[in-house]
Amino acid sequence: MTEGTVSATFDIYRNDPTSGKAAYYQRFTLDLTPHTPILTALLRIRAELDPSLALKYSCRSAICGSCAMQVNSKSRLACQTQVGPEIERHGRIVLEPMRNQPVVRDLVVDQERFWRDYASIAPHLILDPRHPMPAGHENPMTPEQVERFKETPRCIACAACYSACPAVESDPAFPGPMALAKLYRFVVDPRDSATQDRLARIQPGGLWLCLRCHLCTEACPKDVRPSERIRDLKELAIAAQGATERGSRHAVGFKESVRDRGLLEEMKLARKTYGLAGTLGQLGQGVKIYRKKPEMMRKPHPIEGVEEIEKIYEALDRPEGGSK
Amino acid sequence: MRIAYYPGCVAQESGKELDMATRWVAKALGIELVEFPSFSCCGSGFMDEANEVLNVALNARNLAIAEKAGLDIMTVCSTCQGMLSLANLRLGDAKVKARVDGALKPLGIEYRGTVKVKHLLRILTEDIGVAAIKARVRRPLDGLKVGAFYGCHLLRPGDEMQWESPEEPHSFEDLLTALGASPVYYRGRVMCCGFPIQFVKEETASRIAGRQIDDAKAHGADAMATPCPLCHISLDSFQNKAAKAAGHPLDMPVFHLPQVVGLALGASPEELGLPRHLVPTDAAIARIRPPAVA
Repeated sequence: MTEGTVSATFDIYRNDPTSGKAAYYQRFTLDLTPHTPILTALLRIRAELDPSLALKYSCRSAICGSCAMQVNSKSRLACQTQVGPEIERHGRIVLEPMRNQPVVRDLVVDQERFWRDYASIAPHLILDPRHPMPAGHENPMTPEQVERFKETPRCIACAACYSACPAVESDPAFPGPMALAKLYRFVVDPRDSATQDRLARIQPGGLWLCLRCHLCTEACPKDVRPSERIRDLKELAIAAQGATERGSRHAVGFKESVRDRGLLEEMKLARKTYGLAGTLGQLGQGVKIYRKKPEMMRKPHPIEGVEEIEKIYEALDRPEGGSK
Repeated sequence: MRIAYYPGCVAQESGKELDMATRWVAKALGIELVEFPSFSCCGSGFMDEANEVLNVALNARNLAIAEKAGLDIMTVCSTCQGMLSLANLRLGDAKVKARVDGALKPLGIEYRGTVKVKHLLRILTEDIGVAAIKARVRRPLDGLKVGAFYGCHLLRPGDEMQWESPEEPHSFEDLLTALGASPVYYRGRVMCCGFPIQFVKEETASRIAGRQIDDAKAHGADAMATPCPLCHISLDSFQNKAAKAAGHPLDMPVFHLPQVVGLALGASPEELGLPRHLVPTDAAIARIRPPAVA
């Protein structure tokens, strides 16, 4: 090992689904400076050690969004992640293809579902045909209007969020963090005329399957913060359409159930979310839990100063105009 | 140390065992819990989806109560921790602050932004310290393999929670080691428990919970432990549903954080409310090897 380098061990996922052979991990060891990007290491492995390694990349500068993969179980861009800290923390670097998308070969995945989910939110401006832009003119926005979605245009569609998302992993009805963050961007764009239609379609269309685990926000190499934009989208959807789904009924029901006593009332919330019939459907499970935890049926004592809670609701829980 | 104890709704209601264990551990370690019957719900990551400013204002009121008493806040729930911390952060936005102040000032409530919000896990590992806790262990959890399950809002978003690595934390494992247990490292330990969509789509929530339990099990865990009572609902109270979704029995005992600490410090299962769990913890406790007689 030369001075200033580390001996870096890579365990790389290898798989050719067409070969009929099981996937395996192949070990490579290289001497590298600690700040070497993982993509650079991969290109050296391919050039010097195994030309059959399949990977996807282009710009090497965290702009094209091609080289997202799992680095020691975290969703990362290979070009933006350095070797040193990973070796320091884990002693080796395990590289795997992105999750939630089928493997084509080695580190390359099939992104058909990812792009289909993206297309499903109509990711383009829908202008009002009654107010066409005057020929030769731009459609101006104020700095305040742009401020509302300043983060989302940074997205490079690398799918790191999609790979990290447990809702994508568990339910095909969830369109994924990127699609919803992009949807938010069009919903608050003052030039877009389809806001109501977009919100009406997304309430039953998977919005409420977001777990708000923030794994997408950690994975995002561009700080788009999809989980926070999805929260914003939920509030906008409720403001525009009211609580039309179980998820929105739960959010509104939660807010209402705290109003009376200052604390959550579990049974009251269940009734608001599920309705009477739905609550009865949960009876079996309820009884199982009740036997061990009878407090679930109890109305909590109102907190001291509960009248302050009512005043705060009166001041801040008035419906506002939902203009852009 | 003296600290304002913020139990949160669940520990006062169906998750009473968390409150019992917290009080036992606090007493054993000399943490004085100051109680405020005026604390309200934190909003639980649901209320702010309906009205964020309202949620921030309710938590500003909670924070102001502790500030007036000159105390920081201790939470025992990852979600309470997240929501109170977020309120502190959102109040840094002048527009939000103005609206919140507009609602609180007429009530004579003012929050100056000085209160730190700390989860019990952080207090145990940072303020008390794992070495000091190790010195107090009377029944080392020797032979017990435990998968820590952090709960999202304790860790993420990392830049907002400003504690340990949001994807590769280690405080809970450090603590388990100090208690004599063997921590189990598995991907699921930082994943979601499924709770937030338990009410939206139960099958999906159960599938997620089942996956994390299976993952802990595949890595050798005899039990799991969580600093979040909402994760506990998902992993324990609804484990039967998770098992159905997984298609096989799970039989995974799930401890609350202060319960594992209490066990090691010598509390009885009854004192820690363990009989209240839906999945029995006896088999896990039976795995603890008795200390060798000198």
